[in-house]
Amino acid sequence: MIRDVRIVSSRFGLANSHRLSTVLMRGAYDSLPIHLKRPPEQIVRAVDESGLRGKGGGGAPAGEKWKLMPRNSDTPSYLVVNCDESEPGTFKDREIITRDPHLLIEGMILTSYAIGANHAYIYIRGEYKSFELILRRAVDEAYEAGFLGRDIAGSGFDLDITIHRGGGAYICGEKSALLESLEGKRGHPRLKPKGKEPEWYFGAPALVNNVETIASVPYIVMNGARCYRQFGTAQSPGTLLFSLSGHIERPGIYEAEFGVSMMEYIERFGGGVKGKKKLKGVIPGGISTPILTAEEAARATLDYESLRTLGSSLGTGGMIVLSSEADMHGVLKNILGFYRHESCGQCTPCREGTSWSDQIASRMLRGEATMKDLDKLLELADTMNGKTICVFAPAVSGVILSIIDKFRDEFTERLRP
Amino acid sequence: MSFAFSPENLGKIEKLRSRYPSPKALTLPLLWLVQEQEGYIPGEAFDAIAEITTWSPMDIYKSASFYTMLRFEPAGKYHIKICRSLSCTLCGQAMLYRHLREKLGIKAGETTADGRFTIERVECLGSCGTAPAMQINDIYYEELNTLKLDTILENLP
Amino acid sequence: MSKVKITVDGRVIEADDGALLIEVLLANGVDIPHFCYHEALGPDGNCRMCMVKLQGAKRPQIACDTFVCDGMEVSLKDPEIRTTVQRILELELINHPIDCPTCDQAGECRLQDYYMEYGLYDSSFENYQKIHHAKHTDLGSNVMLDQERCVLCARCTRFTSNITKTNELGIIGRGDEAHVSTMPGKTLDNPYAMNIIDLCPVGALTSRDFRFARRVWFLGSAPSVCHGCDRGCNITIDHDRPKNGTETIYRFRPRKNERINGHFICDAGRLSYREHNENRQLQIIREGQSIGREEALEAFEQMIGSQKRIMILADANLYNEDLRAIKWYAKEIGALLFVPLESYRDESFGDDWLRSSMRAANARGVENMGINREVSGGYDIDVLINFNHPTPHMIAAGEFIEFQTHQSTNADLIFPLAMFSEYGGTLTNRDNITQDCMQAVNPSGMSLSAQEWVKLLPRRS
Ligand SMILES: Cc1cc2nc3c(=O)[nH]c(=O)nc-3n(C[C@H](O)[C@H](O)[C@H](O)COP(=O)(O)O)c2cc1C
Ligand code: SF4
Ligand code: SF4
Ligand code: SF4
Ligand code: FES
Ligand code: FES
Repeated sequence: MIRDVRIVSSRFGLANSHRLSTVLMRGAYDSLPIHLKRPPEQIVRAVDESGLRGKGGGGAPAGEKWKLMPRNSDTPSYLVVNCDESEPGTFKDREIITRDPHLLIEGMILTSYAIGANHAYIYIRGEYKSFELILRRAVDEAYEAGFLGRDIAGSGFDLDITIHRGGGAYICGEKSALLESLEGKRGHPRLKPKGKEPEWYFGAPALVNNVETIASVPYIVMNGARCYRQFGTAQSPGTLLFSLSGHIERPGIYEAEFGVSMMEYIERFGGGVKGKKKLKGVIPGGISTPILTAEEAARATLDYESLRTLGSSLGTGGMIVLSSEADMHGVLKNILGFYRHESCGQCTPCREGTSWSDQIASRMLRGEATMKDLDKLLELADTMNGKTICVFAPAVSGVILSIIDKFRDEFTERLRP
Repeated sequence: MSFAFSPENLGKIEKLRSRYPSPKALTLPLLWLVQEQEGYIPGEAFDAIAEITTWSPMDIYKSASFYTMLRFEPAGKYHIKICRSLSCTLCGQAMLYRHLREKLGIKAGETTADGRFTIERVECLGSCGTAPAMQINDIYYEELNTLKLDTILENLP
Repeated sequence: MSKVKITVDGRVIEADDGALLIEVLLANGVDIPHFCYHEALGPDGNCRMCMVKLQGAKRPQIACDTFVCDGMEVSLKDPEIRTTVQRILELELINHPIDCPTCDQAGECRLQDYYMEYGLYDSSFENYQKIHHAKHTDLGSNVMLDQERCVLCARCTRFTSNITKTNELGIIGRGDEAHVSTMPGKTLDNPYAMNIIDLCPVGALTSRDFRFARRVWFLGSAPSVCHGCDRGCNITIDHDRPKNGTETIYRFRPRKNERINGHFICDAGRLSYREHNENRQLQIIREGQSIGREEALEAFEQMIGSQKRIMILADANLYNEDLRAIKWYAKEIGALLFVPLESYRDESFGDDWLRSSMRAANARGVENMGINREVSGGYDIDVLINFNHPTPHMIAAGEFIEFQTHQSTNADLIFPLAMFSEYGGTLTNRDNITQDCMQAVNPSGMSLSAQEWVKLLPRRS
């Protein structure tokens, strides 16, 4: 049985949940008077001990990243919240900023305090303009109520929040590309540093976290790490706003703890496959995660470890359900069209590899491809894996390999001799 | 042709300056202001943005050309952006697009002769749970079907 | 900096601790494929061609983003690396027309070299719809862009943004639509623009000036020094030596010299090669008539007479050896010698990088030799002998003898003078660095160098 757990979505159901007046009596900002007076290290420790993992797709332990931020340095530090949410199948951050923006703001205040930042940015995808307005109003409300600006809640801590609108580029969700974009440049991912270090914004240390990651912070700070760990699994503690889309009866987002059975989740929240059709496969966490067959989905539990064991990954938790209706040629072509359009174009294997594989997928879809094309596609997937600046291309590689591998007959059938 | 920020926007720019450690960060906010003011980004605006941000005009042009929402040409009064990514495709966006094309007599990337509509096929709008989805300018329309689409278009002023 | 030892496919190489691996490899003659890295521009990490295997690393790494440490084991010959590089190269080529036979760059194209090296001749892109881009774009400043040949290494754009800081070029668009461009309605316009032609590792950027002029493999070359100003930028003179017919200079290219010009030269200097081919004085001329050498030397002797007041002017572009010979000769015949430098000063030319407003290659050499550099006061002169100084008419004289490289003034007696590409010598640049210039071609027509003419000139009787 799936337990009903609401850490991030607890206030989603309230009427006008985006307004300060609504949430103020429901615990919003309660953490500030207490925790902004305690040493910031305590918040870092709580988050570290909670095992909170980044919810933007990578699942990196948040505490590890927070601890990289310099203490008491002369240069300013920054918090940058990643609300670029553009991974097909993912629409959870949108829910947070429209249904409980004050939870995010509270999380940002606590996080900024913990890492010693006095300015925090929210990088929001350009398409979310109408949601951005809701978020902006919440920020304004928070300023007016004294939760932002100088001397927050009498603590002596100052924080400004600036919302920064993206211009339509999926790759800007990648943290270093996001920072390049925030510095006014093209969103090109940066070369990876050799060792562990924070991200950099105009030469100053910066912490980049996903919206939902930050929105989980108030709960952890208020209730303690142990409380957070009573949900989820040992290695994937807590909850995630999992989401369902595609061939599903009731698409949407539903918070659940890590470790629940994938199929049970799909049945319980999503009402099963659309039209009671047969399940063909599930893309578990946004299109960049390798597909699972129905049989694999039946074995999967919703946590990082289970999906890794199945050769895929949990990603953003945005499951795309495919019924027997789905034509894998169309799925592959659709996904590769996305990547071709969204590659930043900086490095050769990705720029040319996504372009070429998209062309091959088109030909396969039209029934014009031969075995040679299929082999070429697999070879391209190999070339895109592990040889590029960022993990965009390796993700494309994994997607191609999983789809071809798991539905090979469907593809070979349509090949020309 | 020349470009100048409106007095109102100049006021906004002054406020924005204090929000960033470097004026270089103002690139995207200013590009957006230009597009809101003019409906697109005329080439003349690169110099104006460059001056404020301290980037070179080329840097601004490079950046602007990277972001697909930024346009160098005006779009129709109603810019319809219909999602073509996976979840919407599984929920029938192709049919919607075909319907739209027939109804307006234009393909993606085109604008109707009267300048009222532009159609664009875009990647995931973050409405996969309410697919298929589209935007008209910045407003979302979700859980679409052809009937709903007709009503929406008919009710546009 | 402490030294460390690394092994590269079994060979032990000593390097500075923390040095960039690709630099170490290149410095030691290891032929590592690369497009985007360039010594003058640094790494960018975009082409992914410089893949190496590092002992202990799971995946191939790029050498331009790897820093050496003691005991590092590097392999380029590892089969996995060979395959990886081959496949990436194939991707570089995919949108690239296979038109080497008609490409100007053929012979000095990294793409073509690697293509051969990695045996891709039979890779077929059958059924592949090439992404078409503009083929012949005139970027301005004599630079032509063929976007279909471009591998987007960003060397050219980094040159204009980081080196000249003129920012005319950028990579525009995203993904497979990315391309090199100027601003709408603007052109490439800076005094160093043509360096990007040398920087471009493939045939995407070519010189409008040099396009189709000559296939590079027919050219010979000689190291020399530009004579455009007293910076003394190092150049390579490319020329051909046909079996018969006149030798022609086809271009000047920058030659690396970290102390002076790095990897670059200015466009004015680069294009000054033309002066070697155009409007040259080839004959000895008296009163409009071409005459023989003996006759001319006799005429010379008569003109300088035994009592006349003689002034010699000399060009500040002449080699030290020429100037020394002229100085010696002036003393021998009791003539005044001047090399007025003011004539070469062009404030509009100088800048804060290479270009200097003293537009004479050996101005410093003149100074070092203690030759008068200013004509002060009035001189009453009977005969003026000018070794190619550009403004002899500032001196009024009864008779005028001139040694000239180019057909110019109407002197009473004219001797053709060889240009610096036609013989060797040394120059001393503004920073007092003396450099050698080698002969590239033979003197044209009847011309001789100044020093050789001096040897033949009669003394006064
Ligand atoms: C191609 C690509 C796109 C990404 N898009 C997003 C995104 O839209 N939102 C997000 O939070 N993280 C995204 N990420 C992950 C970020 O790089 C980064 O890991 C994350 O924002 C860190 O926050 P977290 O640890 O809280 O998840 C993306 C990564 C890649 C490689
Ligand atoms: S892998 Fe793709 S998206 Fe990532 S840097 Fe390279 S070209 Fe850009
Ligand atoms: S034109 Fe040449 S130098 Fe410039 S990006 Fe293309 S390949 Fe590189
Ligand atoms: S800077 Fe002077 S020496 Fe250098 S190339 Fe130009 S003209 Fe020649
Ligand atoms: S796939 Fe259309 S909104 Fe996400
Ligand atoms: S030279 Fe190393 S990636 Fe281009």
